[in-house]
Amino acid sequence: MIFLRRQLPLLITLVTGLLFAAQYYVPHPASEQMLTSATKWLQIVGGFALILGVTSLFHQHAVKIRRQEAGWGYSLVLYVGMLGTIAVGLWTNGKESVEGTMTAFGWIYNYMMVPLQGTMFAILAFFIASAAYRSFRAKSREAAVLLVAAVIVMMGRVPLGEYLIPLSGDVSSWILNVLNSSVRRAILIGVSLGAVALSFKIIFGVERSYLGGGKE
Amino acid sequence: MTFSEKMLKIDRRIIFLMIGLCTLLPLLYPVGLPIKTSSEVRGVYDHIESLPEGSVFLLSIDFDPASKPELYPQAIALLRHAFKKNLHVITMTLWVSGTGMADQLVTQVAKEMGKENGTDYTFLGWSPGGQAVIINMGQDLYSAYPSDYRGKPTKELPILEGVRSLKDVGYMVSLGAGRPGVEEWYVFGKDKYKFEMGGGCTGVMAPGLYPLLRSGQINGLIGGLRGAAEYENLIGQKGKAVAGMDAQSATHLAIIALVIMCNLFYFSLRQQKG
Repeated sequence: MIFLRRQLPLLITLVTGLLFAAQYYVPHPASEQMLTSATKWLQIVGGFALILGVTSLFHQHAVKIRRQEAGWGYSLVLYVGMLGTIAVGLWTNGKESVEGTMTAFGWIYNYMMVPLQGTMFAILAFFIASAAYRSFRAKSREAAVLLVAAVIVMMGRVPLGEYLIPLSGDVSSWILNVLNSSVRRAILIGVSLGAVALSFKIIFGVERSYLGGGKE
Repeated sequence: MTFSEKMLKIDRRIIFLMIGLCTLLPLLYPVGLPIKTSSEVRGVYDHIESLPEGSVFLLSIDFDPASKPELYPQAIALLRHAFKKNLHVITMTLWVSGTGMADQLVTQVAKEMGKENGTDYTFLGWSPGGQAVIINMGQDLYSAYPSDYRGKPTKELPILEGVRSLKDVGYMVSLGAGRPGVEEWYVFGKDKYKFEMGGGCTGVMAPGLYPLLRSGQINGLIGGLRGAAEYENLIGQKGKAVAGMDAQSATHLAIIALVIMCNLFYFSLRQQKG
């Protein structure tokens, strides 16, 4: 059993990892065909992952409702919302409109999901303003630099700011294009090198946490 | 409690009211301040402008209704421009929750510009897999999307004649609100299948995409509502983005004023306490 639990997954990871790393550099039709098939599998697996995610969500909230844990009412709302949407979606074949006429699924999408998501995003502006007032203080030299940069960029990104301080647009653009870009690039290079190192560790079986725990 | 202390502990509802008014009043009474065009936005505009009639333009609408205020106007402006240039427009989404919105958006603009589905444009819809969809489209578009959103086989669509994979795309723009989005389109799409691409994103995401822009990995970037307003100006069709710029101006200045005030009170309090 240890072969199925440990050695086989490690072997599959090693072979596929090396194969697909090499595939990128081999433009032979057979290699391209292999990539086409693999990405098709990935799409199918992606579809199943969605089912797995929904099932796991259902299970987690079912436990909360059964035990009547704190906030179990929200879990109930989630259950009703999800089951209702799935039922309506299946009934209307997943179409929001048929020949220009809105279906029940389209109604849920347009009049429930769109405004709810929009509202969630819109209230961020209020909380950001409140948080900025409470915590954006020049307590140190570093915080002062951050504060000045933020004010310049905020001014330079809106017409009124550029109108009041004409130079703010150019300075803001310089901050974004030069300072921000170079720092972001440095972070990206660091993260990418880390990702390459981690990939090698996974491919060669040094990093095995993805196999999970369980009995040997 | 001193005045500074009182002001630092101000009821947050006052701040909410201030931001609410700063958003609402400019929308009711617009000022219409001039908007300068940045080189980032011009990059996308100029490239679409340089495409010959009938070129294939792929627009990936990778956002959901949460980012609608910023990215919807970008998508409308881009589609209007592409249709005006008589490009063959292929649209799709990598975000399942954005599918219905993307369909409405494409249908609305196409109707306004008098374009026909299947001949002048198509909406492929959503397909599971995220970045795997991009690679699959690069290998074989018909395999990634066997049918369009309306269920018509993609092999039979006149607009997709001669478009077998991403290699046949003239220009591509991803309007992304997260992952998968602009970065994934570059890493898994442009880098391997060699097509020219630009990007569009929300305001908070834009600084993160500047390294791609400066290195030429994307040739233009439309950032947030400001970027959408610039694009609307460039195509000469002012819409919701231009209308929203006054509100954004007022809100930005309100936040700056709040930050300055809070620092003044903070330093005055520190001085008082010695």
